[in-house]
Amino acid sequence: MPSHLANYSSLNGFSRTLYQTLFKRNTVFLVGIFSTAFVFELGFDTASDRIWDHLNKGKQWKDIKDKYASN
Amino acid sequence: MSSITTKLATAAVNRTLFNAPYSSVAIRKLFEVSNGYRSEANVIPSASWAAAQRGPDGLVTAKTFMNAGPTIGNLPKRLYSSAAAVNSSKSVIIPDTSKYRKDSGTYTSRSFAYLMVGATGVMTASAAKVSVTDFLTNLSASADVLAMAKAEVDLSKVPEGKNITIKWRGKPIFIRHRTAGEIAEANSVKLSDLKDPQSDAERARKPEWLIMIGVCTHLGCVPIGEAGDFGGWYCPCHGSHYDISGRIRKGPAPLNLEVPQYEFEGDTLIVG
Repeated sequence: MPSHLANYSSLNGFSRTLYQTLFKRNTVFLVGIFSTAFVFELGFDTASDRIWDHLNKGKQWKDIKDKYASN
Repeated sequence: MSSITTKLATAAVNRTLFNAPYSSVAIRKLFEVSNGYRSEANVIPSASWAAAQRGPDGLVTAKTFMNAGPTIGNLPKRLYSSAAAVNSSKSVIIPDTSKYRKDSGTYTSRSFAYLMVGATGVMTASAAKVSVTDFLTNLSASADVLAMAKAEVDLSKVPEGKNITIKWRGKPIFIRHRTAGEIAEANSVKLSDLKDPQSDAERARKPEWLIMIGVCTHLGCVPIGEAGDFGGWYCPCHGSHYDISGRIRKGPAPLNLEVPQYEFEGDTLIVG
């Protein structure tokens, strides 16, 4: 795309909205960073735990607990 | 003459312009200088100019010299050099940079920069939080220690009026199933008579069950049950008497027998 037309593209419009809502005020930006970090950590932990459990299936205590503990 | 003109033009291209007057002697001299050639027959004694550019190590990196008379007749000779003249009609040519420019618009470019900053912030915040929590988790007790920290007792096997002693965290725990008479006796004591005033209700959550750490508060001996002047416990080491609520009544011990944290789950007692 020629650069003189890029300012009118839909991506640029989206970027403008993004800038106006999220980046313009530093407080909003910071709150966004921390809340994103919270959500990101939740997702990251869940995903990495799932991968770990998948790779170690049948080896962990919670997998073999039924054989040894009654309740 | 034309070859001399060529030499002059070459000199001009080489960013040095000699504006010497057109006297045949001077032109010949200029010709000789620019060719590195000197006609022995026409050596004219005259003043010389020489300039040498030296590098920081003292070596000559460039050298310019010229031999020419300083005057022509009475007129001083003008001899100067200058940078090659710039063609102003061509000096404002701006190269075409469109190939190297971003295709995105102004807002996209700025938002991308902020997005990168924000993403770095998110990563940093997560990393900082994880390092702090991991460090603190490292300080807390591990699962096997926590499992050892609790003791379970089946209270249905303890008949009324009997003591049992269990081990909890390396210490003895006294559990007494008290009779109604013993409860009444514990409640009848006036708090003003006590060295360490505590009501029986503060010490026993259920009046029929008294649970205490069996370590004398004096010097750490283990008292003997159902002994002493007050019908409770008696420490044989230095003669401390505890009543049926485990409170110190006589002897050197300063405090009542300690009550651990405990809770009841049906007939099961969980200490810890």
